[in-house]
Amino acid sequence: MTDRLRALALADWFGLLVVVLVAGALLAFLQPAFLSTYNIYVLLLSFSLWVLVALAQMVIIAIGQMNLSVGAIGGLVAITFAGTMEVWGLPIPLAVLLGLVLAALCGLFNGVVTHVSGISAFIITLATLSIFKGINIGITEAQPFYAIPDAVKAFGAARLGGVPYMLVVPALAIVGVWLLFNRMVLGRQILAVGANRHAAELSGIRVGRVVVIAHVLSAVLAATAGMLAVARLQLGQPTIGDDWLILSFAAPVIGGAILAGGHVSVIGTCLGVVIVTLINNALVLLGIDPFFVQLLLGALILAAVMLNRWRERRREALA
Amino acid sequence: MGLALLIVVLVAIFATVNPGFASPFNLFSLTRVMGIDMVIGFSMMVVLVTGGLNLAVGSIGVAAVMVGGWAMQVQGVPVLPAMAMAVAFGAFLGWINGQLTVRIGVHSFIVTLATMSIFFGAMIVLTKAESFNALPGAFVDLGRLRYWGFVSGMLPAALIVGVGLWLFFNRTSLGREILAAGANLEAARLSGIRVERTIVVAHAMSGGLAALAGLMLAARNGAALPSMAGHIGMSWLLPAFLAPVLGGTLLTGGVISVVGTALGAAMVTIITNGLLQLQVGEFWVQMFLGLILLAAVLLDRLRGVMAERRRQVR
Repeated sequence: MTDRLRALALADWFGLLVVVLVAGALLAFLQPAFLSTYNIYVLLLSFSLWVLVALAQMVIIAIGQMNLSVGAIGGLVAITFAGTMEVWGLPIPLAVLLGLVLAALCGLFNGVVTHVSGISAFIITLATLSIFKGINIGITEAQPFYAIPDAVKAFGAARLGGVPYMLVVPALAIVGVWLLFNRMVLGRQILAVGANRHAAELSGIRVGRVVVIAHVLSAVLAATAGMLAVARLQLGQPTIGDDWLILSFAAPVIGGAILAGGHVSVIGTCLGVVIVTLINNALVLLGIDPFFVQLLLGALILAAVMLNRWRERRREALA
Repeated sequence: MGLALLIVVLVAIFATVNPGFASPFNLFSLTRVMGIDMVIGFSMMVVLVTGGLNLAVGSIGVAAVMVGGWAMQVQGVPVLPAMAMAVAFGAFLGWINGQLTVRIGVHSFIVTLATMSIFFGAMIVLTKAESFNALPGAFVDLGRLRYWGFVSGMLPAALIVGVGLWLFFNRTSLGREILAAGANLEAARLSGIRVERTIVVAHAMSGGLAALAGLMLAARNGAALPSMAGHIGMSWLLPAFLAPVLGGTLLTGGVISVVGTALGAAMVTIITNGLLQLQVGEFWVQMFLGLILLAAVLLDRLRGVMAERRRQVR
């Protein structure tokens, strides 16, 4: 029985890997420029940012909640990071630290308010989305911070062949989150709370602590994405994070995450991001209207939800 | 009716602090936005009743308006039929949401998250992100309609819609069925209500109302703009949830307040307008609205907890 379940769990990302490889081969065949060093650099750059956004949402999906404020936290940290360096002349490491601390506070707020009030995370994070975004707009008056230190700009542009330096950050994050969910007690606890909150409580897990930690982790991942976006854009743009919402749900759901909680796949989520990145890239390379991305992303979410639902029913039938 | 009292107090404060607040010009623009916000609130309210939600209100509103704008400007369809077309199209998009929710069997959150992206994407691809800004005068005049010198025609229009919704939920069997299914799905199913149908109807109504709100906004702007609800319609979400939640509609479904939603929208509009008049700076308004939403849901929750305790003590 466990073998069968394991095989199904494997199917979470195995099918996706096949899709990625076929799509990649097809693209390379249709448009040789796809495999050029520069294009691979562009692909990895998008991947670096988006995978952090996707992981930020995935951690919350794992506890069976949702975080609408991922983009707002990313944006607020981005302008704080850029602003403190430009206006206060803060050294880079301190600005990074400040950004992470601010994000942790935002996540702490989301987690504590959600847990203590018992109100759905949806409405709480809709409110905090407006608050965080509102503070961002209030401070910047919608104007970017242009004077980013050269070292940050250099980091955002540096690459080794087709590999951007900044890939190091998401790579560490992926390994960390994978270890969390596959090797650590805390990760197991997060999944247990998502699968059955009541059962988790009865088995002695401190649910509140787990929920709050998940929200803090989500915010810190979003903040990392926000700061990388500053390095990549070479400016502290207040609109950073505005268009993360759909993507943040698309990748984990494509990767087999169940929105009711308790089941997520780190590798699946990464492959989900790869698929989204490839689609984006294909539209550009093949000269198709880039606005199709929005349409395709929505369709992908629907298709993935249907597939996951079907798989869930099959799993129930087997169990 | 603490909300009505709060509104009176707010109006009194704003009017004393800033005489410009009560000027006919400001009242006209205030009531115009108020009417639009009410209809946006109604369009979310009718799905909240089912225990679901509709993230796609903004996308549907814009998509429907672009259909209406195209019909009027390019096809030369007269104003009223074109508006009817837009509302029907909005209802159709809502019907799609309802069908998907029922058939896939997942929460409407993820379905409407996907469709908000799909509807908006399709609209942008088809319109090439260009607006219709040569709309017929008869349509644009709707935005200039003015009663007694200071009330925009948008407010009575929204109130009429509100009365219609009140009658629907309180006096028709379908309306009552929707409420019953929202309160307890299984119980409603056992008592013979076709619960799937109630969900689909609620989503279709939501789509139609979103389209209506879009038309009102387009009449105000004098153009059908693809950008009028922000990126993928996101900028409608806050007003859409604020009005019903402030007005006491429960997110868990089954409880609705049409009057509360109208008052909630009125309060949001008055606060926004008052803050702008006080030169707080337009950039801080969004943060205040977020704080208000947070305070409203927390207060509501606190009231629920206190009521629960009192019951236990007895």
